[in-house]
Amino acid sequence: MNMDPFSFIVAILVYVAVLVFISGMTFKIIVWARSPGMKINLGMYPKPKNGFIRFFKILKDSFIFPQTLEVDRWMWVFAMLFHFALFVALFGHFRLVKEFTFVSNVIGIDNLNTLGAVGGGTVGITMLIALVYYLFRRFASPYKDISVPEDFLLILLLLGIAGLGVHMRFFGTVHTEDYREYFQSIMRFKPAFNKALAQSQTRWVLSWHVLFVNLFVIYFPFSKLVHVIGTFFTNKIRSE
Amino acid sequence: MLDSEKKELMIQTLKNKVDKQILYYLDICARCAICRDACHQYKITKDPKYIPAYRAELIRRLYKKYFSVLGRMFPNIYEAKEVDDEFLLSELYQVAYACTGCRRCMYYCPFSIDTLQILSVAKAILLSAGMGNQILQELSDAAIAKGENIGIFKDIFVKMLKESEPEIREKIKDKNAEIPIDKKNADVLYVALSGMHSILPAAIIFNKAKINWTLSMFEAENYGYFLGDSEKAKTIADRIVKEAERLNVKEVVITECGHAYRVINFFYEAWTGQAPPFKVTALIDAISRYAKEGLIEVNKNSSSEIVTYHDPCQVGRNAGFFDEPRYLINSITDNFRELTPNRTKSWCCGGGGGLVAIPEMDEFRIKTGEIKANQIKEVQAGIVISTCENCRLQINSLNERYELNIKVKSMMEFVAENLKV
Repeated sequence: MNMDPFSFIVAILVYVAVLVFISGMTFKIIVWARSPGMKINLGMYPKPKNGFIRFFKILKDSFIFPQTLEVDRWMWVFAMLFHFALFVALFGHFRLVKEFTFVSNVIGIDNLNTLGAVGGGTVGITMLIALVYYLFRRFASPYKDISVPEDFLLILLLLGIAGLGVHMRFFGTVHTEDYREYFQSIMRFKPAFNKALAQSQTRWVLSWHVLFVNLFVIYFPFSKLVHVIGTFFTNKIRSE
Repeated sequence: MLDSEKKELMIQTLKNKVDKQILYYLDICARCAICRDACHQYKITKDPKYIPAYRAELIRRLYKKYFSVLGRMFPNIYEAKEVDDEFLLSELYQVAYACTGCRRCMYYCPFSIDTLQILSVAKAILLSAGMGNQILQELSDAAIAKGENIGIFKDIFVKMLKESEPEIREKIKDKNAEIPIDKKNADVLYVALSGMHSILPAAIIFNKAKINWTLSMFEAENYGYFLGDSEKAKTIADRIVKEAERLNVKEVVITECGHAYRVINFFYEAWTGQAPPFKVTALIDAISRYAKEGLIEVNKNSSSEIVTYHDPCQVGRNAGFFDEPRYLINSITDNFRELTPNRTKSWCCGGGGGLVAIPEMDEFRIKTGEIKANQIKEVQAGIVISTCENCRLQINSLNERYELNIKVKSMMEFVAENLKV
């Protein structure tokens, strides 16, 4: 085995994290579904005229929430930047599952790597900027008065994840192929570093990155982060 | 210190009151506080406890303590609190009974969190600890007592109505105009407020439109609802539902009162599990229908006085009547001017949620009504029309304090004054 004990434990923790995430989210949704609901519709007027319009209104309210822009412009801007960057970053990680051959076939592997470097770097830094905004906003009044430690912990965790991710993107001699080998070794239930990773200090950055992601994913179903799913239900209530 | 039995009752109340909807809200709020400036009370006072997200947070702190494993294990991470935490209870009392229930925060919240619903849990917990608002409690009990002893009130009430009939007859030049009461098989049961100001103009309109109507012996307002006691609220609403069933009416028309219409039309079903067996209409809806059907006609007013309309939260955002009042006003005057913002985004007047009935809230509600006062000043209105009694009382207070020089009118009053006879 070419992994240090810490990296090995972090890799094993990935399985735990996936398990906890799936069962935690399932549990949350079951709890939501089984709790008794109010039988009356207490939505907000004017209500959408039919189901078709309602469906798109729920999507609009959940993804764009335009009314928020009127009352807190900067929070809206940074929330949009953060969530969009997070989504793109997440999507980019699928290169580690399988190379985006549908892109590299068209523009060539070198161009894809450049795109990954520029795009990945941009969204990583965008996330960091948005998170720093989130953090400093929480230190300011009146937001500090309504914040609880959970809020800070989540921001710090995300700062760790994004910071280490950006570090891997810009520093060191480890490349996408090496990370893919690492990722796939975990997917094959045989966690291992390849030669490039085993010889590089970057493995520490990688392992801490993955550790933070593990913690984040484990905590996700039990935190306010379930707003990712819950927002569709509550925005539906608004429109009914 | 509360004894353990009472504490247990409060925890049970918390558990029972958190339904699916509230559970979503407690689980997903990100405490982003985007709602802060949606609330007129925070915007004016700058006191963090009035931020809608903070009001909800107080309930979340209790919920985490008792119904979340993580909250029990690490209360400090969530600032979870015991249900007998005196500071929390005192804040809970202040913010729950200060909320006017306008739901403007819900409009701006990216997750559409309904703070009013969460605060209904707060009120239930306070009530289970015997800490409900005293005034609202007394007013609710009085309403219930009246329902049980209606015989005592009936004679005085009928006498008062008879004395007003000549005025109606003269106004619409109809010798047969009357204010019927207890009339079986009438088409419409009209539920007014206590006071002739909400009976007379409506009686003029019903008589003119030749509606087969009868007046309810009970008033529409429901202090049980403001108190947050669903049992009492149900009992108070039941007086009207029973009367309507006894008289076998087709339609119950609720006067211009924000919460009263919502109580009978929405909440009654939630409390009893079944919708009332008749059609529920808001008076503003009925009047505009009569006008559109030609049952009544209005004169175009030649006065150059500027007329504006305040969208009551419970009539507009929370019940959907935006166009009806505007249609009526525009058919009477050419000098209608909109407040900004209006309709769904309308600012609360500051007096809703029963605040106008609680003397200790007087200073607070008039102070936080400053936004509405400024809006009215901006359009240089001479007449402010509003279709909610709470709003009218509040705007009258604002008129005095902020020297607005306005006349505050209900829609039925404005229509009755300009009725073509």
